[in-house]
Amino acid sequence: MEVKQANLKDGATPRPTFSIFRDLLFLLPFVIFVVAFLILPTISIFISAFQDPSGKFTLQNIKDLFTPYIMNAYLLSIKVSLFTAVFGALIGFMLAYASTFGNLPSWVKSYLNTFSGVASNFAGVPLAFAFISTLGRVGLLTALIQQIFHVSIYDLGFNLYSFWGLCLTYLYFQIPLMVLLMTPALEGMKKEWREGAENLGATPSQYWLKIGLPILFPTIIANTVLLFGNAFGAYATAYALTGGFLNLVPIIIGAEIRGDILHNVGLGYALALGMIVIMGITILSYNYLQSKTARWLK
Amino acid sequence: MKKAFTTKFIVVLLLVVFLGSVVFTGCAKKTTTEQTGTGNAYLDQLIKAAQKEGELTVIALPHDWANYGEIISTFSTKYGIKVNELDPNAGSGDEIEAIKANKGSTGPQAPDVIDVGLAWGPTAKEQGLIQPYKVQTWDTIPNDVKDPDGYWYGDYYGVLAFEVNSSVIKNIPQDWSDLLKPEYKGKVALGGDPRTSAMAAMAVAAAAIANGGSFDNVMPGLEFFAKLNKAGNFVPVIAKPGTIASGETPIAMMWDYLALTDRDNFNGNPEISVVIPKSSVVAGVYVQAISAYAPHPNAAKLWMEFLYSDEGQLLYLKGYVHPIRYNDLAKRNVIPEDLAKKLPPAELYAKAIFPTIDQITKAKKDIADNWDKVVNVNVK
Amino acid sequence: MKKSRFWAWFWIFLGALYFLLPLFSTFLFSLKMKKGVLSFAAYQSVLKDPQFFKTFTFSLEMSVLTIIVGLAIIVPTAFWVRLRLKGLRPIVEFITQMPFVVPPIVLVFGLIRLYSKPPVQLTRTPLLLVMGYVVLSLPYIYRSVDNGLMAMDVERLTEAAESLGAGWTTILFKVILPNLKSALISGTFLTFAIVIGELTMASMLAWPAFGPYMALLGQNRAYEPAALAIMSFALTWAAMGVIQWVGRTSFVKQEQVGGIH
Repeated sequence: MEVKQANLKDGATPRPTFSIFRDLLFLLPFVIFVVAFLILPTISIFISAFQDPSGKFTLQNIKDLFTPYIMNAYLLSIKVSLFTAVFGALIGFMLAYASTFGNLPSWVKSYLNTFSGVASNFAGVPLAFAFISTLGRVGLLTALIQQIFHVSIYDLGFNLYSFWGLCLTYLYFQIPLMVLLMTPALEGMKKEWREGAENLGATPSQYWLKIGLPILFPTIIANTVLLFGNAFGAYATAYALTGGFLNLVPIIIGAEIRGDILHNVGLGYALALGMIVIMGITILSYNYLQSKTARWLK
Repeated sequence: MKKAFTTKFIVVLLLVVFLGSVVFTGCAKKTTTEQTGTGNAYLDQLIKAAQKEGELTVIALPHDWANYGEIISTFSTKYGIKVNELDPNAGSGDEIEAIKANKGSTGPQAPDVIDVGLAWGPTAKEQGLIQPYKVQTWDTIPNDVKDPDGYWYGDYYGVLAFEVNSSVIKNIPQDWSDLLKPEYKGKVALGGDPRTSAMAAMAVAAAAIANGGSFDNVMPGLEFFAKLNKAGNFVPVIAKPGTIASGETPIAMMWDYLALTDRDNFNGNPEISVVIPKSSVVAGVYVQAISAYAPHPNAAKLWMEFLYSDEGQLLYLKGYVHPIRYNDLAKRNVIPEDLAKKLPPAELYAKAIFPTIDQITKAKKDIADNWDKVVNVNVK
Repeated sequence: MKKSRFWAWFWIFLGALYFLLPLFSTFLFSLKMKKGVLSFAAYQSVLKDPQFFKTFTFSLEMSVLTIIVGLAIIVPTAFWVRLRLKGLRPIVEFITQMPFVVPPIVLVFGLIRLYSKPPVQLTRTPLLLVMGYVVLSLPYIYRSVDNGLMAMDVERLTEAAESLGAGWTTILFKVILPNLKSALISGTFLTFAIVIGELTMASMLAWPAFGPYMALLGQNRAYEPAALAIMSFALTWAAMGVIQWVGRTSFVKQEQVGGIH
């Protein structure tokens, strides 16, 4: 493919022409890959969402989604994902910013980045256990606070096995993800711009408000959306930490597809279909908003 | 003329080869699908056929569960058959889905045999996902835990127990009612979500029986957990060996064999007491079956023969599960004394209640449907 | 300057506390296998098994393949979508984020259903596993590459390179890639971390990977899973350090001069 293009360029046309063929050539590997290994396999399984146990066509599973129980699960999932995405993005941005522009020794940044790489995928039982042994009823920090302040955080209303506890745990992989995604973008901010702005008498905060943030804004939003998806589909951590008592959609899907008891596979796939639709809406609306703001920022 | 002769010769030769191969494969088929012989001659034949396949794929067999680690390695070295192990975390639902996904495929990712909760046997049979096979020791498997046609057969059972970290809990709860005491605030947990895990659902059913209910009426069990939760004793986290040892969930409801295995693995750090609550001894049975699409049917049959032989059954017992042929083994006095000594007293098991498949199915459904509403573990 | 440095340290310190404390608790617990004393018994019990390094190496190899295949598929696409097919961006973005919401168990059964029997039988080669891994890492790779492209003004760079007579291969390899370096490293980290610990896909496709090994070993134990978590964390971290070192020193540094700033 590459060779062909090189030849094309060496040939008659001095500048590469933009044709639909070239578009195809650039996109083809991606399209083939995605169709073969993501879309077809998903469809081959999701067909069951429209089948009853005997294999006949039905819309019952889709209808079943619109019960209060399942709607609440979607709502709760969106809440957890939104909260951890926004806070993960905020804190992650701060860390990335601190390590890039904070005049810290360079090892800080390289440690932060490599650490973030590992932590971004630290999830499931090990992560839940790490938090249980830190902030559980007999956790390290809980015990420490008790010793120093003679009070149990659990008596003060803290509970790890709760919405907030789950959010706190999710941040463990959300923040590093943001750090990893944000650092290259921050590095890309050109020093000259800042120097130029400062030469013109702009304070750092003015520089950031007028130049830095508008440039970074699309990236920040795109990353936040990614963080949202990252939390939206997470299953293992929530299950290990709250034993399936927090009704998140992935947990219900797990129960329907994998479980010993409920096992209504069709409904499970319908639930996953619902998640795909929500992701689709999220991404489309953010793209729409972005194109609006892009015009406005210019 | 010569040419015609050659052609004819080739045709005949091809015919012979063709017929020969048909007969041959026919023979081969015979040993795989039909189970005619008995005794050592049949077993020898089976071993050879299995070794020819060379592989066996199992699914959802954690090594510390029912001694499967040792069972798998013993089987593998004894017969020289490579055992592929698919997801040890898989639940019964996953096992069924794995068979469905692998219809008609070969390769190491297609499960040959499954080990699922009792209620799954009939479901899998109905859906045509398993094939019948009767092991040599078939007659000594109790009738109510096997399919008369040989599609599925119980392999082991355990009873529901309290696994107590007695380094943390000094005053060990003896029965369900004890769990409500204020001293156990934030200390009691389940080994799973009752809507997904058979073990956790059985715990609810057992609580029901202890509180005047039954498998047909699980409401008292759900109400018991509601009370437990209201008292603040219930911790909504999945109890794992780690959380039990760390003291985060020092009282957990587990199958007795898991609790006893933990006791051995922990080796005194912490001390584990295994309490079988007297007011309800509830047994959970698992069943074995061979996939209808097993790529290694002979190895699968050999696996079954091994599991249901005295050797296999005693290996199960070493993992503290009660092998399905336990009574037969006891009657024939083949259980080594030191092994018998390590088990909880036999009287307790004599009281065990074995629910029927219909009862289990109904109880599970009732629990799954009402757990949220009645218990209302409000994790906010 | 001084003020900004204080706040930078403040944030880093807070982050370090939040991130290291849970690891430290896990570590402390993993040392408690022997009663009354702190010891590395759990680690010895894990390291006794030759499978530990064997499976880790296998996953290491798979992650390298995944990174190569993943980047080869994503980089040209993301580049072209940024440059010429802006209208397709929402769609491409949606597709790349689908793996978040398709449960891995569904994906792996789908792959098995399609590619485990003739006409297309891929289950005996690691190809299917690698493809599955690429799917799982799709959201992360795409996002990091796209971020990198966003930061560098693709259009102007490409135009400038074109006007200097550069062909498409030259543009991709000499102009775009060098400027993507730090974004590519991020994507590589994320992919690497996914592949090393992945369980469902590897274990359902019957590969001797590190994730299934950890599950098998740690399933019903107390101290070993904690020790495993710490060890895999440390090993993965070390591997990332190597990736970063290789990335920062040898890879494309020289060519960055060719990039147009």
